[in-house]
Amino acid sequence: MNDWLAFFQEVLDYGPALLAGLGNTLLLAVTITLTGLLAGIGVFYLTISQHAITRRLTDAYVSFFIGTPLIVLLFLMYYGLPPLGLRLSPLTVAIIGFTLNVAAYNARYLRIAYNGIDQGELEAARAQGFTHLEVFRLVTLPQALRLAAVPALTNQAILNLKDSSVVFLIQYTEFFAQVQELAASNFQYFKAYLLAGLVYLLLVSLIVLLARRLERTVLRPLL
Amino acid sequence: MALLTVRNLVKDFEGRRVLDGIDLDLEEGQVKVVMGPSGCGKSTLLRCLNRLIEPTAGQIRFEGEDILRPGTDVRALRQRIGFVFQNFALYRHLTALENIKLGLRKLRHFSEAQATERARAELRRMELETHGDKYPAQLSGGQKQRVAIARALAMDPKVLFFDEPTSALDPRMSREVITLINRLFLDNVTMLCVTHDVTVARYISDSVLFLDQGRVRAEGDADHLLDQHQDPHISAFFGRGARGV
Repeated sequence: MNDWLAFFQEVLDYGPALLAGLGNTLLLAVTITLTGLLAGIGVFYLTISQHAITRRLTDAYVSFFIGTPLIVLLFLMYYGLPPLGLRLSPLTVAIIGFTLNVAAYNARYLRIAYNGIDQGELEAARAQGFTHLEVFRLVTLPQALRLAAVPALTNQAILNLKDSSVVFLIQYTEFFAQVQELAASNFQYFKAYLLAGLVYLLLVSLIVLLARRLERTVLRPLL
Repeated sequence: MALLTVRNLVKDFEGRRVLDGIDLDLEEGQVKVVMGPSGCGKSTLLRCLNRLIEPTAGQIRFEGEDILRPGTDVRALRQRIGFVFQNFALYRHLTALENIKLGLRKLRHFSEAQATERARAELRRMELETHGDKYPAQLSGGQKQRVAIARALAMDPKVLFFDEPTSALDPRMSREVITLINRLFLDNVTMLCVTHDVTVARYISDSVLFLDQGRVRAEGDADHLLDQHQDPHISAFFGRGARGV
């Protein structure tokens, strides 16, 4: 019992650093969720392009980033680019790396959702006089987002939050990096990592609650 | 001058000739029904006329303008042609009212208030004024088709194309839609309707065009074509062959 009290005391002492780390984690997770979604929408648009070459190139992009471990990409940019004269901050590397990776996944989710859209609606929109881009913006995207938003896109948001913990490996001091510091200072690895797990679980639960709310409001009209 | 003139229209799909020299004239205020066996090219013909499908050869003039010439504003052309589909094709993420408003807002640049007023008027015309806030999934088949017609009419098209407007409906809903098309017929709305429905051909058309294997096999008034035409293919299609009528 005294062990736990002592640990909590240390957690309180580390409080500002842990909170700063948590802030960095949330900053990164929210940023890459947004940039990954926007870039994913762009890639998705190209995957249903009328031009075969564009479709093939974007399919190759998606396959490459889904088939490559994210950590390889992060290391390539953080450790591989400086000798070539390009030095990027850990946050920049994290945002670029995650965005490229998450965009590929989101594009794939949206492409799968696109298969669930009634093609007759898209033909009707063209028959009304809408351009390819307008059909995408006004009919395809709202439906694909709704169909993919739950559960695929929210799962991706959860993965973004959890996977952001790997960026401590490129010196970005996010929440998990601070927990590592805490654990190393008192050798209470079990308690420290348990604390990290609980905090991540709490944040993920918040995303799940938000997703359920979203499901009720945006998905219902399509069913 | 005819509103729509088609001459020698040809469409090939992967080496197969689907339309083989179609001629068609549609006058303003006229209602023409296109009939024929499945796969004879009826739906392809409609889609060629507003360039949803690009014809292989031939000439199409709409309001005197050659719409196959390079540089044709296809977007503007399609806005002059209302299109009602077999499976309704309502945008299912939008309510009935929003379905009608979308084209008015984005293509005709109506203000929000103008578009709402116009969309409500079209819903009233279709006797659907209490259904404006419903999503397509909450409407019956007949109601969906009436919203689709309202959506097309709201754009003030020169002509309405119908592609099998009743074939996805049960008999009761089908009657609802036929009654409505009949009302448009009485209002002198120009229509070109692809259908298998003999009731539509008989009561709501000025003339019937019978297509077979991509060619016009016969054209004339509905009663003659449906009851008295001597062509064995046409007789068989309307179920008269066996009795030798």
